[in-house]
Amino acid sequence: MNRDQPYNKSGLYCNRTWDGWLCWDDTPAGTVTWQNCPNYFPDFDSTEKATKICSESGQWFRHPDTNRTWSNYTLCNFHTTGKLKMAYILYYMAIVGHALSIASLLISLAIFFYFRNLSCQRITLHKNLFVSYVLNSALTLIYLIAVVNNPDVVGRNPVGCKVLHFFHMYMLGCNYFWMLCEGIYLHTLIVVAVFAEEQHLHWYYLLGWGFPLVPASIHAVARKKYFDDNCWMSVETHLLYVVHGPIMAALLVNLFFLLNIVRVLVTKLRDTHRAESNMYMKAVRATLILVPLLGIQFVIFPWRPENRLAGEVYDYIMHILMHYQGLLVATIFCFFNGEVQAALKRQWIQYKAQWGQRRRDHCSMRSTSYTATSITEVPAFMYHHDCNSEHLNGRHTSEDSELVALKTGETYA
Amino acid sequence: MASETTPVLSKQVLLWLVVACQSVSVMACGGTYEYAIEEFCLGKFRLDMEELDQHHWCSWEDTVEPYGELTNCTYLIALKMDCFWPNRQVDEFFIRIHKHYFHDCSLSGRQLRDPPNHILGPFIVVPILVTLLMTALVVWRSKRSEGIV
Repeated sequence: MNRDQPYNKSGLYCNRTWDGWLCWDDTPAGTVTWQNCPNYFPDFDSTEKATKICSESGQWFRHPDTNRTWSNYTLCNFHTTGKLKMAYILYYMAIVGHALSIASLLISLAIFFYFRNLSCQRITLHKNLFVSYVLNSALTLIYLIAVVNNPDVVGRNPVGCKVLHFFHMYMLGCNYFWMLCEGIYLHTLIVVAVFAEEQHLHWYYLLGWGFPLVPASIHAVARKKYFDDNCWMSVETHLLYVVHGPIMAALLVNLFFLLNIVRVLVTKLRDTHRAESNMYMKAVRATLILVPLLGIQFVIFPWRPENRLAGEVYDYIMHILMHYQGLLVATIFCFFNGEVQAALKRQWIQYKAQWGQRRRDHCSMRSTSYTATSITEVPAFMYHHDCNSEHLNGRHTSEDSELVALKTGETYA
Repeated sequence: MASETTPVLSKQVLLWLVVACQSVSVMACGGTYEYAIEEFCLGKFRLDMEELDQHHWCSWEDTVEPYGELTNCTYLIALKMDCFWPNRQVDEFFIRIHKHYFHDCSLSGRQLRDPPNHILGPFIVVPILVTLLMTALVVWRSKRSEGIV
C-alpha cells in the first residue's frame, strides 16, 4: 500500500486503507469497490466478492450501528451452507458411481475369464483395461472416504495421503493409456497390417502399466517442490496438467487412430470383405463412442459457468461423466458385445437343457440334450470371427469347412 | 550498555506515565501512545531480531515469538493507557517495522502459488512429448512384430 503510486486522478477519493482483513486501494468517491474474499477463514469462499462503499464525500462507508468504517464481507460465507450441501451430494454420487463401476467391471471380468473361448488378444486388452478401471475406482473410493471426507487427516498431512494421491494419479494414467493401447491395437490390426498374425503384447503392457509412472512421478516431484499443500488436495494449480496433459494427448492420438480406422474400413474394405468390415466397424464404433466420452471432461473441465444454476448443472454432468465411466465401459465393451451376449445365451440354454434332463429322465430328453450340446459346440467357432479372423487367412484347422459354412450366416454384435 | 540502562530508564518513565495518565485525557492515545510503544516495545524487539541472523528475518518460525511479544506489548500499553486497540499509531508502527525488517521477504503468505511459467511450461510440455514419443514407439514396434511369429 505504501509503495503504490499516490492517487493521480482528479476528484474526491477515499484513501487507501487496511480494514483488518484486506487492503483497499484509493477509490473514487461515490463508487463501490470489490475484491475476492480472503481465504483465511475456513467458511469463507474465496471466489465470492467482498465490497466496500466510498461515499460521495470521499469517506469510507461507516456502519450506522457502530459508526465505524465497515466493509461488506457478508457474501463470503452467505452461501456456504448451500455449497456444502451440494458438495456432499456430489460426494455421495461419486461414491455410488465408483461402487457401481467396480461391481459391473468385476462381473465383466468374471464373464471374460469364465468363457475361455471368448479369449483372444482384443479381449486380453479389454481385461487389462477393466482391471485398470477397477483399481482406479478402488483407489478413488479410498481417497474420497479416507482423505477428502476427513479434515483432521488433511490437517495432520501425513505422508501416506500424498502417496495415495500419487497412486491415484498413476491409476488415472493407466486407465487412459489402456484406452490408447486398444486404439493402437485396432489400428495396427486393421490399417497397418490387415488381418495379420498375432501381435506381441509386451509393448502394450509397457505403455499401459509402465509408462503412466512417468507423469505421476513428475507430478509428485513438481507438487512437492512448488505447491506442497496438505495432502496435495488442491485442484487450483496448473501442475495437475502434468498428469492431465499426457492423458489428453493420449486421447487425441486415440481419436485420430480411430478416425483413420473408420476411413480405411469405409473406403477399402466395404466392397471386398463385407463380413469382416462389418465386424470391425462395430468394434471400432464402440471404442469411437467411448473415447470422446471419456476425454471430454478433460477438455471442458476449465470452463465452469459463472452463473450459479448453470454451474451446478455443469458440476452434476461432469461428476456423472467422471465417476460412472467404469459402468459405461463395462456396458459398452462387455454387456452390449454380441459375442458375450451369445456366449451367455448359449450357457443359459445349456443350463436349461441340463436342468430339463435332470427333471425328466427320458430317453427322448437324453437325445435332445445331445443335440443341444452339439449345437452349443459348433457355434463356439462362429464367435471367434472377430478375434481370430487371422485363422481364416493363415492357419488350417479341421473346422475350416464348418467355419465357411457358418460364415455365410448371421453377422454378430 | 544501552540494554542495561534502558530497563531502568523505562521503569522510571513507566512510573511517571502511570501517574500522569490518570489525569490526562484520551488525546494521549495519539502522541504519547506512540512514544510509549516506541520506547518500551521496540527496544526488546530490536534486540531479539539482532540476535537472529539477518538471513533468518524472513523465516516465520524464527520470528513469530518476538513478533508476538511485540504485538502483546502494544496491546498491554494500549490497555493501560485506556486506548482502543488496534489504532492508527499501532498500524503505522507496524508498517515501519515491516518496512525495516520484512521488506524483501517473499509474498508466500497463506496462498500457495503456481511456479512461474518458465518452470511450469517444461513440467507440462515434457511429459506430453514423452507420451507422444512412447506412443510412436509402440506403434512402430507393433507394426514390426507382425513380421515375426
